[in-house]
Amino acid sequence: MSAKEKSIKPQHNKMLNATQGLKNIMGRHFLAIEQAYRDGKPTAWATSGSPVEMLYAMDVQPMLPENSATVSAAQKYSQNFIELAEAEGFSYDLCSYFKTNVGAVLSNAGMAEGGTRKPSFMLSTDVICDTHVNWFQVQAERFNVPHYSIDVPHVVSNTTNRQYNYFKNYITEQLYEFIDFMQEVTGHEYNEENARQVSENSWNLSKVWQDIYELRKCIPCPISTRDTFGGLFPLFTMPGLKEPIKLYKRMYKEAKMRVDEGIGALEKEDFRLMFEGIPFWYNLKYFGQLERWNAIIVYEPYTYAFSKYMNPKVTKEMVLNKPIEAMSELMLSFWYVYDLETRIKKFEETVKDWSIDGVLLHNNLSCRPNSCGMYDLKRHLMDDYDIPCLIIDADMNDPRKLNETQTLNQIESFIEILRQRKKT
Amino acid sequence: MKKIGIFDSGVETPEEIIMAAGFVPFRLFGDPTLQPEKANEHIPPTHCIWTRNLLEQAIAGLDEDIVGIVSSHGCDRTNREFDIWLECLNYKFMFFLNSPRKRDDVAFKFFIDDLIEFKNQLQDTFNIEITDEKLKVSIQKMNKIRKLLKEISEYRTKYILKGSEFHALVKKVQQYPKDDALHILETRLKELKESRVLISNDMKPILLTGSDIDDTELIVLLESLGFHVIIDDLGVGTKYFWNSVSENENPIEAIAKYHITKPIYSTKFPSYERYNVLEFLAKKYQVVGVINIAQKFCEPVLYDHPYLHKKFKELGIPYLFVEMTYNRESYSQLNTRFSAFAEMI
Repeated sequence: MSAKEKSIKPQHNKMLNATQGLKNIMGRHFLAIEQAYRDGKPTAWATSGSPVEMLYAMDVQPMLPENSATVSAAQKYSQNFIELAEAEGFSYDLCSYFKTNVGAVLSNAGMAEGGTRKPSFMLSTDVICDTHVNWFQVQAERFNVPHYSIDVPHVVSNTTNRQYNYFKNYITEQLYEFIDFMQEVTGHEYNEENARQVSENSWNLSKVWQDIYELRKCIPCPISTRDTFGGLFPLFTMPGLKEPIKLYKRMYKEAKMRVDEGIGALEKEDFRLMFEGIPFWYNLKYFGQLERWNAIIVYEPYTYAFSKYMNPKVTKEMVLNKPIEAMSELMLSFWYVYDLETRIKKFEETVKDWSIDGVLLHNNLSCRPNSCGMYDLKRHLMDDYDIPCLIIDADMNDPRKLNETQTLNQIESFIEILRQRKKT
Repeated sequence: MKKIGIFDSGVETPEEIIMAAGFVPFRLFGDPTLQPEKANEHIPPTHCIWTRNLLEQAIAGLDEDIVGIVSSHGCDRTNREFDIWLECLNYKFMFFLNSPRKRDDVAFKFFIDDLIEFKNQLQDTFNIEITDEKLKVSIQKMNKIRKLLKEISEYRTKYILKGSEFHALVKKVQQYPKDDALHILETRLKELKESRVLISNDMKPILLTGSDIDDTELIVLLESLGFHVIIDDLGVGTKYFWNSVSENENPIEAIAKYHITKPIYSTKFPSYERYNVLEFLAKKYQVVGVINIAQKFCEPVLYDHPYLHKKFKELGIPYLFVEMTYNRESYSQLNTRFSAFAEMI
């Protein structure tokens, strides 16, 4: 350990000091958007799960409306925006991210409130959900801007390798078509060297994030969701840039020091949990209440999923030399959209590897693709692998759909079950 | 005769391939008198009630002649729930067809690959051969059915055939052996040619759109309130027969082209083009109103509704949007809204 490192003695703290830098990184992202408008640079809206790297490679400034929707929720604007969208005719049951974005646009909200600017074009994909495509269709029509959508075939539990290969070809062809689309809309040329550099940055960013997750296997866990829920944003807004890599490396370094000193994010760690689903962005403090039972969330598939390079077929060499083909492969094997059989297997492995005592499953009332299969997932985890699970009903961005007291009571009972199991 | 069950939120499944394999294509319909119980152990109650209804039936046991299931890429529900069907059912043939969301050349090429895979898996599972000749015969038969349905549909325009009867007829065709279906259609057409006007001119001609409504009783309800469903753009309706499959091309390519170019449904991209289909039908059939019915939690239709509302307002055609729960007891709650709309137009 260097003298400098020695001087920064790791301390118990619920949040890493390095994570404070997230505000600056995200601030720079929003500034970059403003700068792009001032400079007349092309901009694009992109849905999560779409190849944002390709936008950076073509010198197009990305904007992720889902990220903005979480800002609205954190600033307590989301309910108001959602209700504005409902007044426009969009159902109470539709995606709360979508409705937050509709309301924010209708209100002409600023970026600090979760607003977004009119883009040069929109990029959507149904890799995560159909809603993404419908959402951007609604907004592309409103703004009268071009919209390119990537259709991703749905992989199910009995999809064969033969099918997988032509699924991949279908995506690859669309990605090349998307390059043509961007060239036409922006006048920018596709530059292979740029693409390689962006891909390398994206790879490095993801790998550091995965390293951080590896540290979460340690007992006590050095990092809580106070670092990861917000910490994930650079993964989908800035894959391809160097700045967030530095932030993640700082987070890793600090966490590693904690591990070396045997210091956890909690002073006392009795229960290690997994949280499946999107957090309640309007009430992140809610998760802090787990600490009253010395319980800590040590793994979230949602925040891990966006460090997309997990498919062993996608090597760094492939990412650098065949970025489009690598992207096609990744879009088919995204953690967050695994078929049920793979999902069960991955959960079982994760529970074992991260020494997890119990799983909290968020039945997200306006994200049906995520909650579909959750009942079967729970049953398999409980019956086949004896893993305790609790399903909680809420919503990612709509505070009307979280019953705080009732949910907390459920969690308390769940923790009690975990406590009893530890005794026996 | 053995059947292949079709779990499809639209009409994206190529029946011709199933027929050429020697099976009866049997589209699964909901049963609005049934409430999901077992299905609720697999799918949350805030998800599409229609697909939960189908799963409930599937868990209880489907038609005993069904030897396999094909589910076609439609909405997020049919896509994600296929794995649950794999969990709950034990058929040796279970296939998820990735009917593409887009409708361009790249999607067309991909769809051909997936149709070939569907054909190959049928062949491998049942040890049969699906030849081009057999496919061509199936295409011809289906085209004949489509032509007859299109002709019969026009008797709705002549106020000779009720919308509810036509709806029930399309449902039969989607479940019966096609030779039987042909016979039924030919007989009915002959009768219709000799029939006179049966429906009162006071009935209000409307265009019915929305989720793929499969309960004929709902249309009977609309008729009891003074509406005549003169035209629709539903899967249990015109989407099933509006176009034909080319008989002069490679059969798999012709089937792919047929599905990619037929009138668009809300599950495809860009779904807003569905409005163009609706506008065309509304003008051609001179409807006095449009009724858009969404099954509860039917996201594709819920997303399109505000756009359709705006466009029909611009067009000056009265438009009613209704969200319904899939059980007959709830229909009575819709009475008021339908009646108010009838008054308005």
